[in-house]
Amino acid sequence: MDDVGSLALLFAWVLAIYGIGTALYGAYSRRRDFVASAENATLAVWGMVLVSTAALLHGLITSDFSLKYVAHYTSTTLPLQYKVAALWGGQAGSLLFWLVILTSMAAVVVLQNRERNRELMPYVNATLLVVCIFFLSMVNFITPPFERLAFIPPEGRDLNPLLQNYWMTIHPPSLYMGFVGCTIPFAFAIAALATGRLDDVWIRTTRRWTLLAWFFLSLGNLFGAEWAYLVLGWGGYWAWDPVENAAFMPWLTCTAFLHSVMIQEKKNMLKVWNMVLVITTFLLTIFGTFLTRSGVISSVHSFTQSGLGPFFMSFLVFAGIASFGLMFWRLRLLRSDNELDSLLSRETAFLLNNLILVGICFAVFWGTVFPVVSEWVRGVKITVGPPFFNKVNAPLGMILLFLTGLGPVIAWRRASWSNLQRNVLRPMGFGLAIGVFLFIGGMRHYYALVSFSLCGFVVASVMMEFFRGVRARQAMMGEAPHIALARLIGKNRRRYGGYIIHIGVVMMFLAFTGTSAFKQERQITVNPGDSFEIGNYTLRYDGVESHDTPHIAYLKANVAVLQGGELLETLQPEKRFYKKPEQPTTEVAIRSTLGADLYLVLGSYDEPTKMATIIAYINPLVGFLFWGGAVLVLGTFVTIWPQRAAATAPAAIYSPGRNTVPAE
Amino acid sequence: METKYKFLVGSLLLVAAVGYLMYSGVQQTGMYYLTIDEFLAKREALVDEGVRIAGRVKVGSVDKRMTPNGEEFDFEIGDFVSEAEMGETIPVYYLGVTPDMFKSEGGSDVIIEGKYREGKLVAQTVMTSCPSKYEAEEEGAAAYGAAGATDG
Repeated sequence: MDDVGSLALLFAWVLAIYGIGTALYGAYSRRRDFVASAENATLAVWGMVLVSTAALLHGLITSDFSLKYVAHYTSTTLPLQYKVAALWGGQAGSLLFWLVILTSMAAVVVLQNRERNRELMPYVNATLLVVCIFFLSMVNFITPPFERLAFIPPEGRDLNPLLQNYWMTIHPPSLYMGFVGCTIPFAFAIAALATGRLDDVWIRTTRRWTLLAWFFLSLGNLFGAEWAYLVLGWGGYWAWDPVENAAFMPWLTCTAFLHSVMIQEKKNMLKVWNMVLVITTFLLTIFGTFLTRSGVISSVHSFTQSGLGPFFMSFLVFAGIASFGLMFWRLRLLRSDNELDSLLSRETAFLLNNLILVGICFAVFWGTVFPVVSEWVRGVKITVGPPFFNKVNAPLGMILLFLTGLGPVIAWRRASWSNLQRNVLRPMGFGLAIGVFLFIGGMRHYYALVSFSLCGFVVASVMMEFFRGVRARQAMMGEAPHIALARLIGKNRRRYGGYIIHIGVVMMFLAFTGTSAFKQERQITVNPGDSFEIGNYTLRYDGVESHDTPHIAYLKANVAVLQGGELLETLQPEKRFYKKPEQPTTEVAIRSTLGADLYLVLGSYDEPTKMATIIAYINPLVGFLFWGGAVLVLGTFVTIWPQRAAATAPAAIYSPGRNTVPAE
Repeated sequence: METKYKFLVGSLLLVAAVGYLMYSGVQQTGMYYLTIDEFLAKREALVDEGVRIAGRVKVGSVDKRMTPNGEEFDFEIGDFVSEAEMGETIPVYYLGVTPDMFKSEGGSDVIIEGKYREGKLVAQTVMTSCPSKYEAEEEGAAAYGAAGATDG
């Protein structure tokens, strides 16, 4: 079975090369049959990769330990879902998994565009296949997933226990979907540059793809944060580790791109900027993989070297030079047709939002590569940690939040005083009121006050948009409020879906603010029966209990959670000992309420004295991270859902006071 | 035209602000990342500076005590070599909870962040790498999935 897999990968490699050649020749000589043949080659590559993945999955599920990959990352006692997850748990498998997603998306693009975008498609196809070739070369010649062992071990080494977690099984796939998804708009951008068809066709065609990629990038980052929070046991969810930054950077540029394309669609401006963003986003996805794979930057989780670094670096340099070179060659065609009308306008708000997002991205990039840069320049390695990232990004995040509130309510082109008065001042007043209220309530944390006020501003401005739209529909169509609301959203999905996403982002900012400004932490070593306090809880350590399974041995501490003398529940933070890799892990115990999480870690246990070290955290508002994520998902669904063809009523009707702007 | 220039000036101000934030951030929070040898060569110049050092815990050097404040550790770290070849080591003091992969018999690969005081590296954080026996020789980060698959 495994020979089928490696053979399929070799076929895929050959087919991809054939596809690139025929696509480019077909475009050059305007031979439709060649172009069509190249597209069929892409479908065939997809089929081959599917066969190969099925072969590896078969090996993983049946515990075929003659395969080195299977022996390294699974064991016979590993639960089935983690045997499947081992597909992306190791290097060779994860590259294969990347290929499955990439070729599946490429196949969808080919099938979607059989009758459309015929001029662009050969180049789109060729670009996608070039990216495929890179990954196919890796799995064929550098880290083959079907490598056999000389002998068959009776048992595998098992999957890293840290990865044996629900969130870890869904985090990598969503992140990969996001990373790979960014390749599609990139391929269309390259095709637009190659053909010189630089109107906004490529942008409109890839709008859903970009949104989908962004969606999965968001989910990937959130799932990763959730996993870190639940599994790593240090009380937080984000540590600005290089590996996290690797996933965060493309999200930032992708977010910037989603906003700035609106300016290009409406005003035919920012064509060069959009090209830069879409290319940068793609390069950052490759750079992210390079970071995690190469060991160039030491991350807490991956300090060792792997041989893949130079290959990724070469591909990165090649892709960067080729795509930016192509862009400079077409620079004349990318000139804007319009200019900014006024500084006080929605365009400016969007441009600033882009600058901030890219600024954050650059700061994160700089902080991540700083050890390498400082070693080159000054001969000493200097690292920067979370304090650097927080210090730089907190003020930028505040400006971003302000712009999120301003964007929806400030007029396009040129905001008049009456527009500002009517639309901007009121939500701003609401935000300020929240700040004052909290200040009177005793809050003295400067950042938190600003952040909560801005959150209020954003929510108020979005609510006002909804309210005004509903009222206009009620007045014009005589609809009941709930019907008016449903139709309002239904007919302007992109705009109102976007607003819902903004609300989700605000909720996440609540969590960021709560956890960074008001987190409490207490570490204490206690005897059985001892009590201690954190927040408004009293915690009593009642000793440990243990039990044993063939896969894992458990040690659980019983911690009674009391409030006002009343027992609320008993939490059990655990130590686990995984038997195959012989590795201990920590399992946290959490009591979640909307206001705050009580988060307990069993730090250590001393058998002779029965003493235990317990670390307790109060993480205020952290639950909003999760709920904000859920709202973000909802908003994305609203936005991405296909709009009915009939829904083309002009948006201007529903938004009085705005200049004539077509529906988003 | 005028609007364009105003916008440019505004953008430049913003870029300058970001640049300043980054510069001061590095100045205030940057930490030297040193190998054992680099640290030993200039340890006297590094007293009370924030440092980050990667090394291997010397086998048998871990002294662990349970105190009411938590666990207290004294141990030594040296180069990433076997016990016999290990040269001069750095004494480390740490009060806190060690990561799961920190072995009390020694031999773990660690990254220590802390300050050098009175002949000892007083650790603020102790981080461990993945256990080496677990990893495939040539694929370091492999246990953690590809791009951005880990957080921490």
